[in-house]
Amino acid sequence: MSALTLEGVTYRYPATRAPALAEVSLTLERGEVMGVIGNTGAGASTLLLVAADLVPRVLGGELTGTVTRAGRGALLLPTPWTQVSGMAFTVQHEVAFGPANLGWPRERIAAAVHRALERVDAVHLEERDPATLSGGELQRVILAGILAMQPDVLLLDEPTAELDPGGALAVWRLVRELAAEGTAVMVATSDLDALPDASDRVVWLAGGRVRALGPTRTVLADEALWSDQQGGPGSTAVAGVWRRAGLPGPLPLTVAAALERVP
Amino acid sequence: MRALHPFTLIGIAVALPALAWLLPPPWGGAGAMTLALALCAVGGRGAGSGVLRAAVLTAAPFWFFLFLLHGVGGMAATGLRLTTMIASFLWLIAVLPPGRLVEAMVAAGWPAGAAFLLSATLSAVPALRERARNIVDAQRCRGLHTRGGPRARIAALRALALPLVLSALHEVDERALALETRGFSGSARRTPLEPPSDPAAERVLRWALLLGLVGLLAWRIA
Repeated sequence: MSALTLEGVTYRYPATRAPALAEVSLTLERGEVMGVIGNTGAGASTLLLVAADLVPRVLGGELTGTVTRAGRGALLLPTPWTQVSGMAFTVQHEVAFGPANLGWPRERIAAAVHRALERVDAVHLEERDPATLSGGELQRVILAGILAMQPDVLLLDEPTAELDPGGALAVWRLVRELAAEGTAVMVATSDLDALPDASDRVVWLAGGRVRALGPTRTVLADEALWSDQQGGPGSTAVAGVWRRAGLPGPLPLTVAAALERVP
Repeated sequence: MRALHPFTLIGIAVALPALAWLLPPPWGGAGAMTLALALCAVGGRGAGSGVLRAAVLTAAPFWFFLFLLHGVGGMAATGLRLTTMIASFLWLIAVLPPGRLVEAMVAAGWPAGAAFLLSATLSAVPALRERARNIVDAQRCRGLHTRGGPRARIAALRALALPLVLSALHEVDERALALETRGFSGSARRTPLEPPSDPAAERVLRWALLLGLVGLLAWRIA
C-alpha cells in the first residue's frame, strides 16, 4: 500500500470559485521523496495541506476525490514564527510539544526529542527560549518538532526558506536519510538546484493541475518548464545557463552532468 | 518560594486580596497589604528590578485619587485593599514562570486548550512587542515621524496599530494549521513533561486557605 494516494482530488478554498487543486491524482511510496514545483499560486502548498489532512478539516472549503494515507502525516509550514506552539518556554519543550500531544510516555518523548534535535544539529539550543532564536535556528527547531513525532508521511513546504546554504544542504541530506529509513517525503520547494540529488520524482503543478509527474531528471530537463505558456518555474541554474548559451539539449541539471557533456 | 506548586502560589495570591476585602477595615487591609508587600520584598529578589518598588509605584496614583475622592478614611480603606491586589499580582508574576503553570495545569488534567489560552497569551506579549518595533522601524524608513507632539504621535500610533493587528489576524490560520499538525486537538491525553511536585502539605494549605476564606465570608455575611 502506498503511503499517500490522491485520486481525482479537487479542492476549493472557502468563498472561492476557482479550484486551488483540480483533478490531482498521484501516489507517494514509502521511502520515496517527491518534489513539488510550480509558480506562485500553482497549488503546491495546497497539495501539502490536502496531503496532511488539514483541508478541508481545519480551514474549510470543498474537497472532492479521495485521499488515502497510511500512517501519520506531519506538515512543516514555510513560516517558522507562526509554528511556535506558544506552550513551551524552552526549545526542548517546544520540540516535545507534538509527542506530548500524542500522549507518549515521558521516556519515549525525551529520546525522540534528543534524536530530532541531533538530526537538525540543534542540541546546543535545547535550553533556549524559542522566542530568542534567529529565523534559521527556529526553522531547525520547528523541523525537529515535526521529526520528533516520527511521521510516516513527512510534508515539507519550503523547508530551507530561512536557512543559509550550509543549513539548506544539511536539510536536503536529512531528507534523503529519512527516506532511506522508510519515511515518505513530499517537499514543495523553489530551491530547484537541490532536487536532482534530493528527490526521486517531481510533480509540476500549474493552475492547480498536474502538468507533469515523473522522475526528477526527466521532469526538470523538460524544455516546457521554461517555455510553458502559463509561465513555467524554470529548472536548475545549470540548466538555465546551458539553455541561455544555446547549447543542444537535453538540459543537464547539475554541474557534474554539464561537465560530462562538455567536449 | 519559587519551588512551591503553582496552584499554591496562585492560592496565596488570591487569598491575600480576598482577606483584604473580607476583614474589617482598616486593620484587615493593613495586615493583608503588609503580608503582600513582604512577599514582594522576599519573592521579588533576583527577579530583576524590584517587585516591591513596582508595586508601590503602581499603587501610589490610586492612593492620590482615592484621597481626592474619599478623604483620608476612604483612601485608607480602599487603598490598602487595592495595594494588596496589585502587590499580590506582581509577586505572582515574579515567582511563577508560565511554563511551570502550564505543566501544573496539564498534570492536573485541565484541558490542553485552557493551558494554551494562558501560555499563548503570555508568550504573545514579547512577540507582539518585537513585531511592533519592526513595524515602527519600517514606517520610519518610509518617512513616518514617530516623535514630536501629540498629533504626530497619534498619527504614528495609527500607522503602527493597523499593520500590527492585520498581521496578527493574518497568522491565525497558519497557527491553527501548525497546532493541528502537531496533534494539539488529538484524542490522546497530553503528557505533562515536567509536572511540578505537589506535596501533601501544600494541598492541605490550599484547602485550608479555601475553607478559611469561605468561613470568613460566612462570618462577614452573618
